[in-house]
Amino acid sequence: MRTSFVLLAALGLAASAQAQDPGTAVRPFDKKHGGSPNMHMLAHVVTHPGAWKLADVEMEQDPNRPYVYACGFTNFDVQIYDVRDPSHPKKIYDWTIEHPELHRGIGAMDGKYFKIGNRYYYAQSYQFMQGSPDTDLGAVIFDVTGLPDASKVKVVARLRYPQAPGGFHNTFAYKHSDGRVLYFATVNEQKALVYDLDKVVSGADSSTWLIGSVPNPTPFKQIGTGSYHDFYVGYDPATHQDKFYGAGLGGYSVWDVTHPEAPKQLFTITGLGMDIAHTFTPSPDGRYAVTETEYQYTPLRVWDLSEGQSGKTQNLDLPISAWTADWRDLAHNHEVRWPYVFVSAYEDGLQVFDLKNPTQPKTDGYYYTCECTHEHGFGGTPDNGWESTISVEQGAFGVDVRNYDGLIALSDMRTGLWLFRMDGFKGWNGKEYGVRDISSVQDYDHGPVGAPSNGASAGARKQQR
Amino acid sequence: MSLFEAGRRIRRPATLLALVMFMTAGTAGPYDITLLSTPQAPGARGHARLIFAPSPFGVALTQDGHAVYDMQITASGLPQPSSLGAFTTYVAWAVSPDLTGWHRLGPVTNGTTTVGHADLNKFLLVITAEADTTGASSRGPTVLHGTSPSGWLQSFLTHPLFRGISQ
Repeated sequence: MRTSFVLLAALGLAASAQAQDPGTAVRPFDKKHGGSPNMHMLAHVVTHPGAWKLADVEMEQDPNRPYVYACGFTNFDVQIYDVRDPSHPKKIYDWTIEHPELHRGIGAMDGKYFKIGNRYYYAQSYQFMQGSPDTDLGAVIFDVTGLPDASKVKVVARLRYPQAPGGFHNTFAYKHSDGRVLYFATVNEQKALVYDLDKVVSGADSSTWLIGSVPNPTPFKQIGTGSYHDFYVGYDPATHQDKFYGAGLGGYSVWDVTHPEAPKQLFTITGLGMDIAHTFTPSPDGRYAVTETEYQYTPLRVWDLSEGQSGKTQNLDLPISAWTADWRDLAHNHEVRWPYVFVSAYEDGLQVFDLKNPTQPKTDGYYYTCECTHEHGFGGTPDNGWESTISVEQGAFGVDVRNYDGLIALSDMRTGLWLFRMDGFKGWNGKEYGVRDISSVQDYDHGPVGAPSNGASAGARKQQR
Repeated sequence: MSLFEAGRRIRRPATLLALVMFMTAGTAGPYDITLLSTPQAPGARGHARLIFAPSPFGVALTQDGHAVYDMQITASGLPQPSSLGAFTTYVAWAVSPDLTGWHRLGPVTNGTTTVGHADLNKFLLVITAEADTTGASSRGPTVLHGTSPSGWLQSFLTHPLFRGISQ
């Protein structure tokens, strides 16, 4: 009997030890400076003079186009940096909404570049609030082919959606397997909008630009209008489907958007704590996913999507693991370069963890960029300077990774633009880790990896124009 | 002194009226526009009140039914226009929400000025420094601006950053 108790106790201890993260002492807030020895800060640019500087950041991926786009947030501008020398970023272009002094809102939020034929474009999303001009403005599209000659940058289109004022908070540019370049946009309705960017930039009748929408199947109407917040779109070579991974108020959902005019729902993630779903990024094979929910103290969650992808279940509600830089804070956006996850972690700056064992995330490197006072983040209204004394929404907002050489760009709400390199990470194409070259980075010339040749041939057709 | 104690000390109607006026000062009503300053004139302050334009019928309307207002603008802290450049005066404009239509209302000074007319459903009230009071379009910097009360009627709350709360 006594032996049995000892054995049970030992088994229980072993089980709890395996499940428990031993953790480390959290760093005092006033000691959050610098970074881990393997994370090298190459450059820091104070982009704006005021308290709030940047929202998201976007980096071009072609080796001959070393350009970084910094979204100016409440400054309402977009700045383009030439980073051919990453230690000395050079601002080469700055565009601001007309009459910025008359506008109110959170402004220039998200940026995505894309390529159609042999021309490069950049879409800057905007959000203006009631009482402001341009409340129907979702995005401004620039032709940036002529960079670094800033005089050749032109505004070629503006996406407006007066049916639901408030603009586009997040966007995703996607080279679809059918050859089209699509632009997915959040909007203040229970759906995401899908635009055909070739129609937008070619000057086609604006009534033809919007080709479809993806419903949010889990609208949590108690908060706002149940809209999406963010999404990722990727090709699944195993099923030959283009898949939309959406995070919206109420939960997460995965859709087959092979025919974007008629999306088909595949499965959802809902459950306690999932109401303010924010970001949803799968692994290259769609087996795993990293999600973020936007409230203080919540970690990033890691999911095994197998049973959803196979159709065995219609809803998942139990993650397999979780990761946080500091349980007192909140991590924001992330980019997955499997097994690495690059996180813009608000007050905790740039964080990188890996999912070599998806059930046990491991932190690989970090660099604190916020240089801010805890819980004095973004909130309130323009009239109080957007300052709050309860918010942890400040610091690292967006992150991007350049696949061909591993350069990391990070935008910080408080301190501006940062560039980094991490020891041992010299780029990513998936091969080193036994996965396909599938990430948020698009191959605009050839289409998605693993897609039938129609994607590539459509791209080739554009090239021949 | 608590509000209850303050109430006990009120003895005369004039005192009560003064207290009510004090407590409601700065409260924007459905005809009021709070004017915001800009970096060009950070010390400028102001507010405006929509008043119906003169009409034999009490309420002034256009033929297609839009209310016609004059703007009673109270401003302070406006610097000398010449301190901002080659400007001699300040001018108020009623501006369409898409910023394509700028309708000149009239000159504005520190103190209270009534200008008009504005007959847009929703509009921005913008005060700029100008070289003269007769220009058909604005050329100078904005020093004060606000939104007509009708411009605030639609709320769109789509993200925590928009809700006025952080979490």
